[in-house]
Amino acid sequence: MQRLILLLVVFSCKAATAQELFVFTEPASNMAAKSFGFRLNNYLMKETDTKGTNYHLIPEIMWGVSKRVMVHAEAFLSNRNKSFVAEGGLLYAKYRFYSIDEVHSHFRMAAFGRYSFNNSDVHQQAIDLNGHNSGYEGGLVTTKLKGKVAVSASASYLNAMDNGKEKFVYGDKNRQAVNYTLSVGKLMLPKEYTGYRQTNVNLMLEMLGQTNLGSGNSFLDIAPSVQFIFLSRMRIDAAYRIPLVKDLSRTAPGGYFVRLEYNIFNAY
Amino acid sequence: MKNLIIIILVLFSGITNAQIKTVNIQASGLTCSMCSNSIFKALKTLDFVEKVDPNIKTSSFEISFKPDANVDFDKLKAKVEDAGFFVANFTVNYHFDGLAITNDKHVTVGKTVFHFLNVEDAVLTGDKKIRFLNKGFLSAKEFKKNSSLTKMPCYKTGEEEGTRIFHVTI
Repeated sequence: MQRLILLLVVFSCKAATAQELFVFTEPASNMAAKSFGFRLNNYLMKETDTKGTNYHLIPEIMWGVSKRVMVHAEAFLSNRNKSFVAEGGLLYAKYRFYSIDEVHSHFRMAAFGRYSFNNSDVHQQAIDLNGHNSGYEGGLVTTKLKGKVAVSASASYLNAMDNGKEKFVYGDKNRQAVNYTLSVGKLMLPKEYTGYRQTNVNLMLEMLGQTNLGSGNSFLDIAPSVQFIFLSRMRIDAAYRIPLVKDLSRTAPGGYFVRLEYNIFNAY
Repeated sequence: MKNLIIIILVLFSGITNAQIKTVNIQASGLTCSMCSNSIFKALKTLDFVEKVDPNIKTSSFEISFKPDANVDFDKLKAKVEDAGFFVANFTVNYHFDGLAITNDKHVTVGKTVFHFLNVEDAVLTGDKKIRFLNKGFLSAKEFKKNSSLTKMPCYKTGEEEGTRIFHVTI
């Protein structure tokens, strides 16, 4: 029986290459318990009216609390208002509540929440807790890994608060929105695993949308990305975000994203 | 004197008739090397583990132990789960020195109680691979399927009157 299982694994290995470490969304999978991750998230977004570029730098710390729970903390810095300043921060938590695993495959579900505070002026109808709005978010994400494909989908509810002294100027009816995402990823290299020092290359495509529950307006973006994993603990993501549906206003919806990430397993 | 020798032999027979050589764990739910690395590093933190040999392609880890160490099977499984994954296959490479086994009956090996399932009654000698069938040591699907192999209540709980029972097959 063991030889049969081994044969099946060897045959499925040829197809079983996939990635769920998405760039703009978190999968339902959890970090290893007692691990830490550090990220430098860089957004270079093109302003639609001035043709200038907004630069947002978001450093992030990630903590694998247990096999089911992880938390992130982020700080927001940007040059949107001419000088480069700190604008706020965010706390994120995820709880993986369902997981069915087989060799080289899984189906997982997790619940997540965000709480963000931001002191910059509110300048767009779209609600973005990751660097633009104060507020909170709660949602569900499911991820399926099988064969060559990893697919992840999420849906969440957002509520925008005032940005401190800066009010949410689009009316109380427009403070609420739903986000929905669909992400697909594939491991391109290596063709065959021989060790932890090999560089992994993943390609991903993500659809990221939002519908405002007051106005009914929406945006929908598509974001292709390439990801490199070095020494099985460092990551570089490079993505390009393209707005497709623009009914829900944003001042700088499209642009480049580069992330540097480093992970420490069994930190304590 | 003869009785004393017999008593000593009987007492020690449980300890010396099986030795663990290595444990092979195949993990489920992962494909990439960074995921494999998190399991690899987790297994190495156990104080009774000497060496871990990973196979990223098959998501497997061949584990060898420090001499005279007390190998805790539940702790090995827990390390895989703490890394965010599950165990698909847990096989122990034992060296047996004449262990008598009966299908669907408990047998004590040293401090461990085994419940052999789906085997022919035999006396085990030499190197044998023993696969664990307890919940969490294989996929949920397989655990459910194997429940037909015994009617004893220890299958579902993995214990009997407070003693840990390991359900195994060859």
